[in-house]
Amino acid sequence: MKWNGWGYNDSKFIFNKKGQAEFTGKRYRLGGMVLPTFKEWIEKTFGASLEHKTTSRASLNVNDVPPSIVNEEFLQDLRATKISYSQDAEDRVFRAHGHCLHEIFVLREGMFKRIPDIVVWPVCHEDVVKIVELACKHNLCIIPFGGGTSVSSALECPEEEKRMIISLDTSQMNRILWIDEKNLTACVEAGIVGQDLEKQLAESGFCTGHEPDSMEFSSLGGWVATRASGMKKNIYGNIEDLVIHIKMVTPRGIVEKNCQVPRMSTGPDIHHFIMGSEGTLGVVTEVTIKIRPVPEYQKYGSVVFPNFERGVACLREVAKQRCAPASIRLVDNAQFQFGHALKPQVASIFTSFLDGLKKFYITKFKGFDPNILCVATLLFEGDREKVLQHEKQVYDIATKFGGLAAGEDNGQRGYMLTFVIAYLRDLGLDYYVIGESFETSVPWDRVLDLCRNVKERIVRECKEKGVQFAPLSTCRVTQTYDAGACVYFYFAFNYRGISDPIHVYEQIERAAREEILANGGSLSHHHGVGKLRKRWMKESISDVGLGMLRSVKEYVDPNNIFGNKNLL
Amino acid sequence: MYSKELTSKKRDEFEDILEERRLSSDLRYAMKCYTPVIYKGLSPCKPNAIKSAVLQSEQVQYVIKQLAKEMGESPDIIQEEATEILDEMGHRMQLGAVRFFAFTLSKIFKQLFQRVCVNEEGMQRLQHAIQEHPVVLLPSHRSYVDFLMLSYLLYTYDLALPVIAAGIDFLGMKIVGELLRRAGAFFMRRSFGGNRLYWAVFAEYVKTMLRSGYAPIEFFLEGTRSRTAKTLTPKFGLLSIVMEPFFKREVFDTYLVPISISYERILEESLYAYELLGVPKPKESTSGLLKARRILSDNFGTIHIYVGQPVSLRTLASGRINRCPYNLVPRHLPQKPSEDIQEFVSDVAYKMELLQIENMVLSPWVLVAAVLLQNLPAMEFELLIEKTLWLKGLTQTFGGFIEWPDNLCAKKAVLSGLTLHSNIASLVDGHVVLNDKGMEDGAVGELVFRHALAVLMCATYRNQLLNVFVRPALVAVALQMAPSFRKEEVYSCFSFLRDVFSDEFIFFPGISLKDFEEGCFLLTKCDAIQTSQQEIYPTDKGSGTVSFLSAMFRPFVEGYQLIFRYLSKEMKEAFTEKQFIPAVRNFVFQLLEKGSTQCYEALSSDMQKNALSALVQLGAVKKKKMPNGLIYNVNQEAVSKILDMFDDSADAIPEHNEFLFPEYEILIEPEEPESPADNNEDEQGAEDTSKDAKEQEKLGAAGVADETFQSLDEETLEAMAKHETEEEKIFQMFKKQVAAEPEQIIRYCRGEGGPLWVSGENRPEEKDIPNCVCGAKRKFEFQIMPQLLNHLQVDSLGESIDWGTLVVYTCANSCGGANEYLEEFIWKQDYSMGCTI
Repeated sequence: MKWNGWGYNDSKFIFNKKGQAEFTGKRYRLGGMVLPTFKEWIEKTFGASLEHKTTSRASLNVNDVPPSIVNEEFLQDLRATKISYSQDAEDRVFRAHGHCLHEIFVLREGMFKRIPDIVVWPVCHEDVVKIVELACKHNLCIIPFGGGTSVSSALECPEEEKRMIISLDTSQMNRILWIDEKNLTACVEAGIVGQDLEKQLAESGFCTGHEPDSMEFSSLGGWVATRASGMKKNIYGNIEDLVIHIKMVTPRGIVEKNCQVPRMSTGPDIHHFIMGSEGTLGVVTEVTIKIRPVPEYQKYGSVVFPNFERGVACLREVAKQRCAPASIRLVDNAQFQFGHALKPQVASIFTSFLDGLKKFYITKFKGFDPNILCVATLLFEGDREKVLQHEKQVYDIATKFGGLAAGEDNGQRGYMLTFVIAYLRDLGLDYYVIGESFETSVPWDRVLDLCRNVKERIVRECKEKGVQFAPLSTCRVTQTYDAGACVYFYFAFNYRGISDPIHVYEQIERAAREEILANGGSLSHHHGVGKLRKRWMKESISDVGLGMLRSVKEYVDPNNIFGNKNLL
Repeated sequence: MYSKELTSKKRDEFEDILEERRLSSDLRYAMKCYTPVIYKGLSPCKPNAIKSAVLQSEQVQYVIKQLAKEMGESPDIIQEEATEILDEMGHRMQLGAVRFFAFTLSKIFKQLFQRVCVNEEGMQRLQHAIQEHPVVLLPSHRSYVDFLMLSYLLYTYDLALPVIAAGIDFLGMKIVGELLRRAGAFFMRRSFGGNRLYWAVFAEYVKTMLRSGYAPIEFFLEGTRSRTAKTLTPKFGLLSIVMEPFFKREVFDTYLVPISISYERILEESLYAYELLGVPKPKESTSGLLKARRILSDNFGTIHIYVGQPVSLRTLASGRINRCPYNLVPRHLPQKPSEDIQEFVSDVAYKMELLQIENMVLSPWVLVAAVLLQNLPAMEFELLIEKTLWLKGLTQTFGGFIEWPDNLCAKKAVLSGLTLHSNIASLVDGHVVLNDKGMEDGAVGELVFRHALAVLMCATYRNQLLNVFVRPALVAVALQMAPSFRKEEVYSCFSFLRDVFSDEFIFFPGISLKDFEEGCFLLTKCDAIQTSQQEIYPTDKGSGTVSFLSAMFRPFVEGYQLIFRYLSKEMKEAFTEKQFIPAVRNFVFQLLEKGSTQCYEALSSDMQKNALSALVQLGAVKKKKMPNGLIYNVNQEAVSKILDMFDDSADAIPEHNEFLFPEYEILIEPEEPESPADNNEDEQGAEDTSKDAKEQEKLGAAGVADETFQSLDEETLEAMAKHETEEEKIFQMFKKQVAAEPEQIIRYCRGEGGPLWVSGENRPEEKDIPNCVCGAKRKFEFQIMPQLLNHLQVDSLGESIDWGTLVVYTCANSCGGANEYLEEFIWKQDYSMGCTI
């Protein structure tokens, strides 16, 4: 894993000796491929030049790292439990951050003011119970750490925290405890990472179907703690639909239900205090989750629409008829062009010819303007027969909205990109380009207005803040619901000539969030609040709502042992 | 709100667009290639497509369904109705009509105007704005020429023609109406408060055009043409409609563009004056317009059009609007705007009007008119030039935008103004006089009317200065009103005036203190006042400025007092505006006829309406909505209280309604023998007042006359003459006696002799004095002299309590004795008529 960027060390975008972009490594389908048009796209979109490069520090400078605050008595007690731990600087820094832009920027060019003082690796529920007991006994601060993929500043240590901060890394609690094929549930330790969970379940012919974009690194416990959402929620549901039972260790003790039932009427669902609690109440240790047989057949697909408006109208119709495939996403024109730029060098003249033909057909014959059209990517899952039937239904609807089927390949590449796109930010950082994504959910009738206004607001804010080159400001509709949709924005700009790019970036991101809220969008669909979006909590859930959450926190954790200061 | 660097404010240069029109073919101009820049997000569509989009919109359909349910009618019928409304209102912009207009207007404008000056930079800014976001054009409204001119201008600069919200009166003009519609005008009914369907269709139509960026929307914040050339207080309805798409975030932003159109001479000037005086307005009709062709031979000088900086609604709203109400209700449901929103809309409206005012071009004639009105009936030409030049400096200090070429000497400027406005004033024997001599030998009423007409026309030009001057001038008036120079007192007077005149002049809501500071700042800047920690006082040098300023606003101070007085005295019952205007006009008219006021401007229906609505806002008049219109109810006590506030003003007519008079000690002294010395001057003065008083008296008796233009008949005059001679002797006696001790207030002379009568008329005979309750006769004990009135400061003629003398008769037997009160008898003798008890 990279210490100062996203993902695996061997996977990254580079410019090869010929000046062509290339994605290294073999982990992804794009691995080892040359991307001939990518460089031009970067230069055109950001006004970035390959000659102007920033370089990150090659490795962590241990002398910069804040010294560890140590509570000796705790350490003695901890040693007695035989739970492994580390006070090593690199281990501590690695767990001091998530993947917000400013966090990565700090890693590359500076140092955090406050980081965990110790990292502990419990291997089971009982270990966690012991650690929490010790922390209570010595009045220390615990920050649970799962996959470290937070994008809400949730993992950052509060600067003013004087107590010893324990980073409780759940990564060693990664076993599937049992699988219940009769009820189609599995009890899993919360530290398991998404892709491992799917891999191990697949061995028994099952899956959870929960696939957030970060599933390679994010953990089950993290999903629960942030109310995660998966790409294929249309079939499998979001985390709140998947979870049957949760065991959580709090300073008050262990909280869990007495049975594993699909639904119960016993007052407000205590799971909903836990889901989205963002590590402020305790540590999730074990989760019983629904499982499904691995689907027989998977098929990608894509549809081109003459413009974004038609595309959204089509998605809305699909949602209305409740026939959304496992995943349906609509990218706007800017993102379509971006995807295009990431097309690898074609293997044969024939594919290139086909490509050209398709392009001709779409742009000339159908009268689509390549600078306006947009693309929906689709993923169908299930029985082969049903999939084909389903596919036809969706394409029929699309046709009504001027959509044109654009092939499986485009669809598949669209989904692959969501996994590699995270690597792109690291490349951008090397060339004075900073960027981030953020998301929201919004009622159907406001989707178009919100997309347009937020993008425009970003462009305008950039201009006002002195950003020299027009930013990349693009969005996609990534989930459809009965009553609305989830919208994802990408935003990046070239920061040459700006003295404090991170500050400027944060101001713009904040303005964009204000705009979202003003347009009737939510504070977050699935990223969570963390510390990044706390300021809007009161507005989002009202004073009383906030008070309700506070009173739960006060009861469960009166001494603020879980003191990451998220959410409230 | 206001910039402190008013004079250094940079304004764009003007360019005459007629110049080119005079040099090249109008036809070619009209047929030029016209490819206006359009909004970047526009998807092109035909007017008919817009209509059906409006009809099919959720908003309109919702209201149709609602109405169908409420009225139990089929939605189809209501839908039909909506279609009719749309047809009546919708525009049908056609290039042919636009070209026709361009051609005709070129001809007409060249005929009417010397120059049409435009700030080109403003047009360029507008061009950018139109491409970026939906644009709303907000021109000032002084003439029908306004929107013709604006469309013409946009065509000239190759900009998208605006869609104009015009009053439905235009529909009366068949041909022109249709042409206007094809040139892009759409029509709204003047009032449609009750009709929900109309409102829904209209609002949706405007919003649809705005959202699609189809064309700039144009309407007049003032709602109607200002007949006084003074900016009218804004109307909020249309503004809130065009702001709504932004509030609901259906558009990213909306540009509001204030446009100031200033006329050197207003086409409708005399029409307006007649209208203000209550001569009914001709209905807009094609034949009327044809008649208006007569004016084509006249010269109307220069028009200045200043296209202001487009103001981003988003910027205005940032941090002001709580978004919640729009997030929690579907956006197509009609929703009453929250208080926040209403307040915001009002603020924006005022801000836009202030921006219009800021860039209104003032011609030298405006200054001349302002000076002239303070120096009626005639003013020496040289003095007028000198004063005009002085006023120019003052106006510039206050941030007025004067168009006065550098090389133009003052004399020429004044002369050219006089030439252009020869219908208003002229130069006679080295004096400038108003042209009010239309009928030299007409009846009194006719003369008053003529003069009023001339004054109102002249005032139309002075009025253009008022909103620039209002803040410093009201400080000046407040300085004269306030009992002392203490800042709080001056401010409280200022604040009172600002409230009273809130419908007369344009003030940004809720910033009274800022306005005051601004006024003080400007007065300090021109050395008219000095301020210390606690006090504000006029400088010796600045007394001229202060008195000029307060004289400038005196017609309003006086006019309002007259109107308030009328309301507090005469309007006992509920009334409508239709009743109020002619009644108060009659009241003022009679005062003018008698010469007891010189405030001709109080005849203006504009001022009368404003004064009434000021009282409504101050809570002294209650407005009630009745099925047949608005009904007003006066709280007379409250109006009197407001009148009292004017009291200390040096030039105001005081009226004391307070319960407590000032305290004095009464000294009793025996009277010295008669002094032979007569003071002739005194006598003269006294006689004058007595005459005045008689006239006042008559006023009271006459009450509200029916006719507007009433004249004095001979009989009355004769009778008055007789009285004078008969009374002279007695009054002389009175004067003589009193002269010995001019300040006396009481004459005590129980039993012996009798009272000192002030008039031969209305002296009581013995039978007039009733006996005491004990049965004994009453006899004269003492009399109260009219001088008391002076001491009590209730000496304003015709306004306050008054008497010639009060004679008290008491029981000859002095019955009752001890400590109980007894009823005695008092005889009030006036200078002419009297009454008892």
